[in-house]
Amino acid sequence: MSALPDLADAHFAMPAAVAGALALAFGGAPLGVLLIARRMSLVGDALSHGILPGAALAYLLAGPDPVALTLGALGAGFIVAILSSLLARTGRLPEDAAFAVFYLSALALGVVILGRSANSEALLGLLFGAAGGLDATGLIVSAIAASGTLILLALFLRGFLAESADPVFMRASGLPGGLLHLLLMMLVALNLVAGFRAFGALMTVGLMMIPAASARFWARGYTGQAAAAVLMSVLASGSGLWLAHSLGVEPGAIMTLCASALFAVSALTGPNKGLLQNLPGRTHLEG
Amino acid sequence: MSAVRLHDLTLGYERRPAVHHLDGTFGLGCATAVVGPNGSGKSTLLKGLAGALAPLSGRVDRSGLKARDIAYLPQDHGVDRAFPMTLGELVTLGLWGRRGLFGAISASDRHRVEHAMQAVGLAGFEDRALDSVSGGQLQRALFARVLVQDARLILLDEPFTALDARTTTDLIALVKRWPGEGRTVVLVLHDLDMVREVCSDTLLLAREKVAWGPTETALGGENLLKARRLSEAWSQEAAVCSRDHAA
Repeated sequence: MSALPDLADAHFAMPAAVAGALALAFGGAPLGVLLIARRMSLVGDALSHGILPGAALAYLLAGPDPVALTLGALGAGFIVAILSSLLARTGRLPEDAAFAVFYLSALALGVVILGRSANSEALLGLLFGAAGGLDATGLIVSAIAASGTLILLALFLRGFLAESADPVFMRASGLPGGLLHLLLMMLVALNLVAGFRAFGALMTVGLMMIPAASARFWARGYTGQAAAAVLMSVLASGSGLWLAHSLGVEPGAIMTLCASALFAVSALTGPNKGLLQNLPGRTHLEG
Repeated sequence: MSAVRLHDLTLGYERRPAVHHLDGTFGLGCATAVVGPNGSGKSTLLKGLAGALAPLSGRVDRSGLKARDIAYLPQDHGVDRAFPMTLGELVTLGLWGRRGLFGAISASDRHRVEHAMQAVGLAGFEDRALDSVSGGQLQRALFARVLVQDARLILLDEPFTALDARTTTDLIALVKRWPGEGRTVVLVLHDLDMVREVCSDTLLLAREKVAWGPTETALGGENLLKARRLSEAWSQEAAVCSRDHAA
């Protein structure tokens, strides 16, 4: 019996899953908006693969221990975030290339480690998750990730926004841009780890990024977009969990599909550059 | 008292100097134009003055000026137009040096931002998104940010490129006021008539100093010819600079 998410166990505990999804919505979605604004939409995907070797190594060494799994994933995520950021900051390699090198290496390492445990289901569980995997430890990690993210975002938001919008100016003004960037990457890793055992590493990225992308159709400024992203994520998670429970399937993928549906609605009807805003024949303003 | 003094300053990239062995002083409360052909090291010099590029050798003495005392508007301003930010928020970034990461923005700070936007003709544009304004309006906003910074040393790299005549005239009027307020201004410019109008001093550059002094003297015909000849001396096979050995 594995304590890693079991794909066959769809009878997940709804209250725990709802709590985990809410934590991910409040912590992850505002981070997703920042990542998209910084044109780093795929970094979350990269980091989600980056946590695999840590979780796999923890599984190999400590077995199905939730604390070990969480610490292993967190350690691997931080290492990928730090190494990628450092390499990119040297200016020797573009940031996306730096992330590609480290996350693909980490993914390969995770596959090799899990191969030694002869448990291919474990890899699937890590990637796609199961709400049954969200135990007390998982809920505590989710709560820490969400509240920690919101506190640090509130403290450093001005710096995050400034460094993202005009890095040249802020560097000349003495802003510690490298440290802020690293902090952002570590927060992304923390939220991914908080969500991966319940919803899977890949699906957690979906719940972080798709609502954030949808939010761009509803608001112009960061604060409005972050609020819209949280709302979208809550809606997607709520409807996804309900559907998954009704159908008796794992929730991660269904929740992500619900987020995709909300994205389609947003892209079509959103007041900020939604497709319907640009229909031919619409009247225009005087000034 | 001098604002910024250069001591045998060499700036460049990967051992190749973009500008080398510069000695001289940007006087306090003086507007100096940096003039020279393309590739003569003008932008690199401003980066070095701003502290955004470390010298290959020599040094820049900023007379105790800190990062918050310097306003730098580079040629490629680096503002991400797609970023979810308003013009007002962009101008507010100019308060960074004074308020830092955690300092609260006061009512007088907000008034300062409004006043700066008015001064550059952007009153009423505070809530406009960055991607909804023209290049000229964005450049005006960046000037407003320089005003908000209230810096003692102002570095502007080709600030009027691609601007219409009215915007250029408005912004030049702002720049001309700064030396009288005790600010030291260094501008990279190509239009020699504009240089003569705005700047009392000129540094004529061609990867090294050709002339540095009162504008009319520095922009003499012989100096301009010499600058053109020197800028064409760049070589892929360049040997190690002999002046470095002599030093």
